Amino acid sequence: MRGFYAFIKKEFLEQIRTFRLWILLAVAVLFGMMSPLMAKLMPEILSSMNMEGMVIQIPEPTVYDAYTQFFKNFTQMGTLVILLIFGGTLSGELSKGTLINLLAKGLPRRTVLLSKYVAAVIIWTVAYALAFVTNYGYTVYLFPETDVKNLFFSLFCLWIFVCFVISLIMLSSTIAPGSFGGLILSAGALVVMLMVSIIPKAEKFNPITLASVNVALLEGTKSVSGLTLTVSITILLILGSLIASILIFEKKKL
Amino acid sequence: MENMDSLMQYLPFLIPLVILQLALMLAALVHLLKHNKYRFGNRVLWVIVVAVFGFVGPILYFTVGRSEE
Repeated sequence: MRGFYAFIKKEFLEQIRTFRLWILLAVAVLFGMMSPLMAKLMPEILSSMNMEGMVIQIPEPTVYDAYTQFFKNFTQMGTLVILLIFGGTLSGELSKGTLINLLAKGLPRRTVLLSKYVAAVIIWTVAYALAFVTNYGYTVYLFPETDVKNLFFSLFCLWIFVCFVISLIMLSSTIAPGSFGGLILSAGALVVMLMVSIIPKAEKFNPITLASVNVALLEGTKSVSGLTLTVSITILLILGSLIASILIFEKKKL
Repeated sequence: MENMDSLMQYLPFLIPLVILQLALMLAALVHLLKHNKYRFGNRVLWVIVVAVFGFVGPILYFTVGRSEE
């Protein structure tokens, strides 16, 4: 356990030293501010580009438009940023050989992997919370009506999805070689899942669903109970990826 | 003109957004001008990327462009 805490601390220091923590926090606040503003200003921007004699009727933006922007930013750009920030944590150290000394001194490999995962999840959680608080503050000021359904469950769905993405990065990093191996393989896996999500029957079994139903949950057109299976599958996949990556990592030649 | 006025009304909301974007860009520019080595590409390329692509540029620089040394 002592090794675990020490390694988590090292991870945090590393993320701070490489500016990655600050970048992620800045992007989180940026998304939080940008999303409601974009939703609110979109009609103004569109009408300022209006051509002579053409009138575009745009309905008054609502709080749902703000959350649509928020979740769209996070599922698209956010996932990409997460991949870039955490994609190299294990792959990079493996290809540079900085872990060899620590492992030779008796630090178990599973401790390295798990503490890297836990550190990444903590950082992601802090960034996500920061983004939501900023987003909420802006939304309350910009929109008169801010009541939505299932807000926390909807946020939780995206949170657990990104936790799954991070576990995917860990697994990919133990499989693929090179300092960008983990990044490329996990991005590839996400693309495959995105293609599978076109099939309606696979929806319930695909973790990517958790990153696409968020606004439907807020509107109440999707129910919480309809997603328990998807959430359970995602949690199982997280555990599965972590166990698989530990097993592969234990056998890997460094 | 009417549109400009309604945009002005959101200025207090826009200012922090712009400041944060500029801060990210400046941090990346300062770092890349102080360092000579990049994982790939050269200084000109990274200055363009950081200056042109909004907040995506600095993210790319700090995650894949910045040298590990």
